[in-house]
Amino acid sequence: MTNEAEWIQLAQEGDQVAFGRLVMAYQTPVYNLAYRMLGNAAEAEEAAQETFLRVYTHLRSYDRQRSFRSWLLSIASHYCIDRLRRRRITWLPLEDEIAVPTRLASDSPNPEAVVMRREQEERIQQLLAALSPTDRAAITLRYWYDCSYEEIAEALDLTVSAVKSRLHRARRALAQMM
Amino acid sequence: MRCEQVGEMMSARLDGRLGSTEIALLEDHLATCSACQAEWRSLQELDRVLLSAPMARAPVRLRMQVMARLNRREQVRRAIIGGTALALGTVALALLMLAPIFIGLLDATDIAPALVSGGPETIIQLLALLGAVGRALLVLAEKFAAPLAFLGLFSLVLALALNGLWMGAVHRLHAAQ
Repeated sequence: MTNEAEWIQLAQEGDQVAFGRLVMAYQTPVYNLAYRMLGNAAEAEEAAQETFLRVYTHLRSYDRQRSFRSWLLSIASHYCIDRLRRRRITWLPLEDEIAVPTRLASDSPNPEAVVMRREQEERIQQLLAALSPTDRAAITLRYWYDCSYEEIAEALDLTVSAVKSRLHRARRALAQMM
Repeated sequence: MRCEQVGEMMSARLDGRLGSTEIALLEDHLATCSACQAEWRSLQELDRVLLSAPMARAPVRLRMQVMARLNRREQVRRAIIGGTALALGTVALALLMLAPIFIGLLDATDIAPALVSGGPETIIQLLALLGAVGRALLVLAEKFAAPLAFLGLFSLVLALALNGLWMGAVHRLHAAQ
């Protein structure tokens, strides 16, 4: 049994230490998904916390035959989509609503590179913010998690052909904005 | 091939989901259509930008925050269960203490033999008993309402305090480990 499988089993039995290890292992993927979806570091942090609390609550119903990562990302995606829908405002946020997280995986000590990286980050978030919540989730799962069409379809409760057309539509919209 | 069909093919090609025949068809179309060529270049540029975007790292405090929220939720759940159990225990104890009074009332109204033998007098006696019980309850409520409420509240506070102490002890134990 792998470490992860063992932690999942223990966490399902109520072991909080094991659950803490799962949080440690998946905190960046969950946070990144929330950040790409919500476009705001503070909201992403809150959404990541809420995702893990939901995961803990529903852990007993998790089917160990399924990929834990896909299950986790599915919960995070649905939570973020619901949250975006509850905002009831236009998807394109104002410039000052974009708060870049303090740490990106490629932050380098070179200040110029950091500035350029951050500018590109803001640009990417502006582009993503123009998409509908579900299209945004599909693009995020495709580019940051290298999910296949089938995995995206499972995570977002869509058909594979719907994923294909959503990705195409989203890419075309993003390319036109660039 | 029409340009609308080519759009989805370009997206599928970026995802590596086109076979060699479809790639050849796409290439043929791109060689003859400048509009699709321009779209293909912009899609490739978008692909490059998105592929180079790194993961946003979670703040170091995230795990601590999740675990703290889980602990708080568990504490509240335990406090509610503990408090409810103590409150129910208090009510059960109060009912046990009141039981001799009800038995005494039954004896005093001499209704037990009438209930056994039956007859029209039973209804009248039963109503009289209910009236007597009602009056007795009013007297009891006046006399004991305040102490019982106090006892219930005290039990609840005691339950919360005991839960707090228990959680504190468990927390220290975890910290020590």
